[in-house]
Amino acid sequence: MEKSKILIIDDDPDLRRALKIRLRANNYETVQASDGYSAISVAQKEQPNLIILDLGLPAGDGFVVLERLQNSDTLSNIPVIVLTARDPQSNEQKTLQAGAAAFFQKPADNNELLDVIRATLPGTWPGTALPS
Amino acid sequence: MNSTGTINTSHTHVLLIEDNPGDADLVRLRLIEGDSGSTFSSVNRLADGLASMAKEPPSVVLLDLNLPDSHGADTFRKVLEQAPGVPVVILSGQDDEVLAVKALHQGVQDYLVKGDITSNHLERAMRYAIERQALTRSLEMSRQQQLEFKNQFLSHVSHELRTPLTCIHQFVTILLDGLAGDINPEQRYHLGTVLNSVHQLRAMIRDLLEATRAESGKIRIEPRCIAIGDLIKQAASMMSATAKEKQVALEIGLDPRIPSVYADPDRVLQVLINLIDNGIKFTPSGGTVLVKACLAEADPSMVYVSVADTGRGIGPEAKALIFERLYQDPNSIDNRCAGLGLGLFISKELVELHGGRIWVASEIANGSTFSFTLPLYSLAKLLFPVITYEGQLRDAIVLVKVELTPLSNPPRTNWKDVCRQSLHTLHRCVYLDKDLVLPVMRNTDSNETFFVVASVDMERAEVMMKRIREQLEAGPGFRTAGVLKVSRSDVPLPSTGDSKSLKELVQTVAERITETVVLSLLSKPDPKVQTDA
Repeated sequence: MEKSKILIIDDDPDLRRALKIRLRANNYETVQASDGYSAISVAQKEQPNLIILDLGLPAGDGFVVLERLQNSDTLSNIPVIVLTARDPQSNEQKTLQAGAAAFFQKPADNNELLDVIRATLPGTWPGTALPS
Repeated sequence: MNSTGTINTSHTHVLLIEDNPGDADLVRLRLIEGDSGSTFSSVNRLADGLASMAKEPPSVVLLDLNLPDSHGADTFRKVLEQAPGVPVVILSGQDDEVLAVKALHQGVQDYLVKGDITSNHLERAMRYAIERQALTRSLEMSRQQQLEFKNQFLSHVSHELRTPLTCIHQFVTILLDGLAGDINPEQRYHLGTVLNSVHQLRAMIRDLLEATRAESGKIRIEPRCIAIGDLIKQAASMMSATAKEKQVALEIGLDPRIPSVYADPDRVLQVLINLIDNGIKFTPSGGTVLVKACLAEADPSMVYVSVADTGRGIGPEAKALIFERLYQDPNSIDNRCAGLGLGLFISKELVELHGGRIWVASEIANGSTFSFTLPLYSLAKLLFPVITYEGQLRDAIVLVKVELTPLSNPPRTNWKDVCRQSLHTLHRCVYLDKDLVLPVMRNTDSNETFFVVASVDMERAEVMMKRIREQLEAGPGFRTAGVLKVSRSDVPLPSTGDSKSLKELVQTVAERITETVVLSLLSKPDPKVQTDA
């Protein structure tokens, strides 16, 4: 079976490296982007199965990225998990309304994050599994 | 005086509220004598005074306390309530001077005793009243600005602290999980200590932000109908590892009869974890922390929750201060018990936001019991503000049912399960129409249903249903979520003719809504229900 591909969008290179180690250990392939602008082109090119998205990003913050993903014909079905240092009280509902599948505040519990990744990956995510 | 004063009195407008024509004339005379250039109007009833203030706020109000339509303390309270920014000087008689002094503590700027007023007196009292009021206002504004600045600062700091903390957390867990190669037991032990510290730091950052929010009244709670027993079990299972490590027994005692409470589950869990964590912290190995819930005997509308430990207890001095921000018992500070001293302060704020109370009973060496109360869930109580107006039942009450059926619907089998499920939905899902804040509906494999109770007529109900539909369909992932059905039914109103109290009427409506909801959840076709196109 082919590995699922996860796109990590975060401007902190150390965190991208850490997530890459963690996700590879769980049998996922990873690709990365460090700003809001390149995120969309990387997503177009790589067509990931899932996206992990930070909110505070240079060149278009996480909300801009979410909006672009939602408005794209080819990317709007990819589940997005928001992983941010920002505060849930003012951001959680906003990101869910903008189309995110889940919201995590950093530092997030690894097992919880992995559970949600498994639950939202296409094939298990009812939205994309339905016949068109 | 006019040319040097900081206030240009040519713009001073004086409103005199005084019913005695003689006294009113006297004040007018004194004002003219003072030649302050202020304009002057007078009324003899409080209602007229309030109306005049609403139309054009005066620079200062001269207020007699005993008027035809208001007496004593009520008079100045009403004026302060209507126009908190307008300085008030009371004109008191000899007999109510005591009251006038009291009024000074409640926001009145000054008082003058009638019959003892000279034009100089009057002029100065008014001038100082205006000055002081302006000063108070600017103080309050700068306090607000400082609070706002502190909020922004702490929110920024907590965000910035989280980023490196996340990195530490990630790499420590990578090492601990062996993702970077094998580690020996000693290394594992040391890394475990680092991870504990990361968790402590994370909790502190969270508390810092929460405390600031509590202080500026920005904590939001989203109460709903919840089973407190389930939350206690959840909190206990979350804390069981900590208790085990400290060798403290963590026990639960639940009264099986406790009904549902109306509270925010996340917030109550936060309070419970806080209290249990404290209990474990201050209890020596071999001790016990016991969490109990029962009905409050003193107040049947509340549920009583307590967390009792067998720790060293709290002295009377500490007891008085323990819920204060940043308080730490000076006798208890050693490394294992250190914290920011914000947990109990936040817990108190959270409990009080729910309309409950929190307190502690303790004796040195005999353990401590922290207790709090939460209000019982009552549909009637929730409905009250929505379906009543000026002491009467509203004319039209509509129940709107919003139902999302997934495309692949698992068949319903056990009737008993369906019933139980229905009641659960009922408790969880009655939303009122005030702000029309709807839950996010997304794809799941089971039906999702909620209800909106609104006091609107049929025509406006149609508009509201359209809005609900649009709002939900605009939500994320809705296109593929399933079939959305929005339907409504009238709630038959009890006749107001018989001598029932408003409370009883609301109770009747609540029962009828419950009945309609349960019937509709049991999928019995109801001819009265109308579905939108």
